[in-house]
Amino acid sequence: MKPMMVSEAAIRTAAPKRVGLSRRLQRLVQHHALEVFALVFGAAIWEVLGWGLALQWLPPFSQVIKALVQFLASGVILANLQSSLSSLIIGFVLSLVFGLLVGAFMGRYRTVEKALDVYVHALFVCPSILFAPIFFAIFGLSDAARIAIIVVYSTFVIVMNTATAIRTVDPSLVEMAYSFGCRERQIFTRILLPASLPLVFAGIRLGVGRAVKGMINGEMLIAFVGLGALAEKYGAQFDAPKVFAIAMVVLIIGLVSDAIVQTLENHLTRWAD
Amino acid sequence: MIRVKGLCKEFATFDNGSGGVLALSDIDFEVRDNEFVTVIGPSGCGKTTLLRIIAGLIPYHQGEVSIDSRPVVGPGPERAVVFQSFALLPWADVLGNVTFGLDVRGEAKSESQARAKELIKLVGLEGFEKRLPKELSGGMQQRVGLARALAVNPRILLMDEPFGALDEQTRRLLQEQLLQLWERERKTVIFITHSMEEAVMLGDRVMLMTPRPGRVKEMIDVPLKRPRPRDVEKSPAFVEIKEYLWENLRAMQTAQP
Repeated sequence: MKPMMVSEAAIRTAAPKRVGLSRRLQRLVQHHALEVFALVFGAAIWEVLGWGLALQWLPPFSQVIKALVQFLASGVILANLQSSLSSLIIGFVLSLVFGLLVGAFMGRYRTVEKALDVYVHALFVCPSILFAPIFFAIFGLSDAARIAIIVVYSTFVIVMNTATAIRTVDPSLVEMAYSFGCRERQIFTRILLPASLPLVFAGIRLGVGRAVKGMINGEMLIAFVGLGALAEKYGAQFDAPKVFAIAMVVLIIGLVSDAIVQTLENHLTRWAD
Repeated sequence: MIRVKGLCKEFATFDNGSGGVLALSDIDFEVRDNEFVTVIGPSGCGKTTLLRIIAGLIPYHQGEVSIDSRPVVGPGPERAVVFQSFALLPWADVLGNVTFGLDVRGEAKSESQARAKELIKLVGLEGFEKRLPKELSGGMQQRVGLARALAVNPRILLMDEPFGALDEQTRRLLQEQLLQLWERERKTVIFITHSMEEAVMLGDRVMLMTPRPGRVKEMIDVPLKRPRPRDVEKSPAFVEIKEYLWENLRAMQTAQP
């Protein structure tokens, strides 16, 4: 027995990489096993209820998947997806730039904060879709209208988080930087920016979620293009499987964009956890 | 030479319009080049405020604060501060923290890294260059703070209760190492402390301050030979000064309920 164990140990240490990789895979599956199970279980319940209740608004899961496959095969969804995503990206990038800039100035300068705080809070609390008719009047039936909606949806949560993030940076770090002769610009780039990243990212993640909502709402209510318009069209026809199929696409957009931001966040703020 | 004359500092209070709180009142003292002055006094005596004024971090309105006859109007390259809270960048590793002052001044990366590595070695943190502050003990973190201050090669080191947040053993170890460093490369040091042992152990002179408003009560010479071995604590001169400080501090504490 004894020599066996020794040789086994030797093999293990000889190929540590392969063992590590398969272990990691195993761990990954174990980590997500519950999530996968929850999804499969949910789909099964949905399927059973869909057939059993035979409600018009609740098609079985398999029919939704069928509608989704048909959408993908006909290319209808890809064209609309492209249109929706391009407005989402443009709108979100605008929100990000504006949100970070305004938020940073509000966080750093008390006067800017006092001047803008009431507006930012009002616009954050106000249901953004209220602005739809106004944007429609300004931009008409154009991409600009739905981009504007996305911007209104996602900007203010980014502004508020960024302002709080900058305001709550440890003042001793700022004082330390001053003591080494940092100018205001260096305080920003070397202290405030990196120190505020974790909270800023929390705002960006909320902003992404709201941007996806804004995208669909804008398309359904004013622009009549993209995924939102498609959902509106089939909704009017009471074609539930197709509406659910579109909802699933939107869900996936939301999850993927959130995952992208989260990956970036993990990469940039590893020091904070 | 650091020269402070007739310095008063008042902090504005927000609750009423009738003036503020007088933190420092009529402070007069001088610190000679390469002298080690420790500052001790009860809480509220304004010792940290005084240090921050000399560091150029907060303004003063009355009196005179000058370094080699040039008035202090802000931070300067001849001064570096070591903070009680360490104030390390949590996202930067040890090397990145120690090069901070050099990076800010726009030194070439290769030069500043070489200089930083030298100091990391000097404070005994060789091999920890890639660690983040949160992976270090308090004592190690303050060594980083010290290395960062020394990296910019200041003539004047301003230390604000640098060992105040450390446990007793670590504190004594760092005191000894600071003394060794200072023997090798003399700098002008102003060192704030709460500890009477620390004040006497390190200082050429001890500045005793009284609170409300902050005033200099007395400058006490410490006639102990350098280099000072640890057992200097047992010498009659050391004990005598320490007792004298305690008598004074005790009187101040009991005067204020």
